[in-house]
Amino acid sequence: MTSAPEKNEPKRVKVQSRNEPFNARAATRIWAEQPSSDNPYIATSALCHGYDVFELMEKRSFVDVFYLLFRGDLPSVAEAQLLQALMIALINPGPRHPATRAAMNVGVGKTNPLHILPIASAVLGGEHQGGGEIENAMRFLRKYQKTNPADWQHTATDVDASEESADDNSASPTPGFGKRHGGIDLMAAGIAARLLKLDAAGTALMWGDEFAKNLAPSGNGWLITGVASAVFADLGFQPKAGGALFQLLGAPGLVAHGLEVANKPITAMPYVSDANYTIER
Amino acid sequence: MLPSDTTMPLHEQPTHSDANMIDYLNQRRGKVISNTGGWFPGKGVFSHGYSMLEELVGEKSYFQILILNATGKLVDKALADWVEAIYGCLSWPDPRIWCNQIGALAGAARTSVVAATTIGAMAADSRSYGPRTRLEGVKFIQGALRQYKNGVTPQEIVAAAAAKTRGKPYIVGYIRPIAKGDERIEAMEKVSKQLNLHAGEHMALAYQIEQVLIEKYDERMNINGYVCAFLSDYGFSGQEMYQMFAGMVASGVTACYLDTYKRPPDTFLPLRCDDIDYQGVARRAVPD
Repeated sequence: MTSAPEKNEPKRVKVQSRNEPFNARAATRIWAEQPSSDNPYIATSALCHGYDVFELMEKRSFVDVFYLLFRGDLPSVAEAQLLQALMIALINPGPRHPATRAAMNVGVGKTNPLHILPIASAVLGGEHQGGGEIENAMRFLRKYQKTNPADWQHTATDVDASEESADDNSASPTPGFGKRHGGIDLMAAGIAARLLKLDAAGTALMWGDEFAKNLAPSGNGWLITGVASAVFADLGFQPKAGGALFQLLGAPGLVAHGLEVANKPITAMPYVSDANYTIER
Repeated sequence: MLPSDTTMPLHEQPTHSDANMIDYLNQRRGKVISNTGGWFPGKGVFSHGYSMLEELVGEKSYFQILILNATGKLVDKALADWVEAIYGCLSWPDPRIWCNQIGALAGAARTSVVAATTIGAMAADSRSYGPRTRLEGVKFIQGALRQYKNGVTPQEIVAAAAAKTRGKPYIVGYIRPIAKGDERIEAMEKVSKQLNLHAGEHMALAYQIEQVLIEKYDERMNINGYVCAFLSDYGFSGQEMYQMFAGMVASGVTACYLDTYKRPPDTFLPLRCDDIDYQGVARRAVPD
């Protein structure tokens, strides 16, 4: 067929490489490996931000090295204590969280167990109760933590507008805070209350707690993503890193739940009957 | 009593919950309410009001069904063939392309082919390339058309984009990484003509904008710009395009996976210790 060209269609020319100046080697500030004397591919030691991994194994805790990996320096005792407490709090999103339910579906569906983590952690990257909310929540806390939480205007109406709603996928005006299942998430509040007692609790946690108190009468409060964001902010992690950190810290629970049902028959989990299935059209 | 008051046990603290929300959730326990479809053994499989096995399978092409599942719209076969051709443009077996390299690395690390293919598709969920760029591409061309209809010229549209980046106008849908120009557009222009599919005002403006870029910056439209303008003319939103192209790179990822899977492990772009440029702090003693 020889139809006429579309209106304004420019003449096509041969494609040319831009020959961009790509780096010859990948660079990192995190990790250095020393090669063996006779095989440049085999490493004999590794440095994490300058510290020998063998020495770290002998002298420091996992939490210390986790912090080092992302922040570039070892934490103080108080910082490590705060991070460890958060890591315990986040270790399992629980069997009702969509990410854990995804993990359990993978397990009971007899999927390769090695797929549990990537699948479920992708769900834990969602913008609802997941890593996808953390960056915005960290920016929100960093922006307002020097203000008086009581001065935050439009609180009730804005937060109400951000409630769970079938059609509302817009970003919350108060990321990290809101309603869970129609009310205050008491587990998130309880975790925040315990973290606040620790020496390294900082401005973001304190501001967030005051903010949550002001929201309480309207049924809004801390969400777990807000608590995690406040700790990440207080420990100096960058907002861009927060979401992935949230996924990492929730990963153990996802895998545990997926593995728990991996050897069970497919009938071990509910399957909605046709009678309870409605097509809306 | 406030929730952060730890003097009271958590289970006694009020949640100030909305009773309507609890009722709403209770009504949905154990039930699926679908706006899309479902499978009922003995009765059939339904998608967007169609009986899949009676009205779709064998009657409609795979890409008509794919677009239906992704957007709820059952399009003509010609348009589905056009989208299929675009898929062919977006899945190249070259492991230097970032998402494809995930497939190649997965092959080198001996993951399963399904893991490799799906994580490669996930890698293309990027602000720089892949299906997500439809969102910004459509936002640009649909916004530009609104401006154009209000009297703003293509030159002014490009100048405004250039002012934002203080130099070259980095408009999503124009200017491509790695290479100048996009051979896929020419191929798709032929396909469009073969299928007798005509674009409309979005495409016409997209070409005018491209002409400005050619004359002022020696830059051109890329395939994303072409798809965004063309499918805007067929009434699709950016979100719908994001949805229908969700797996668009998958096939090229599979191809790259297979290439390295068939070779010995650790041999794809092997790295010596000194192939990594360490720029961090020097060795230091671990404090006790």
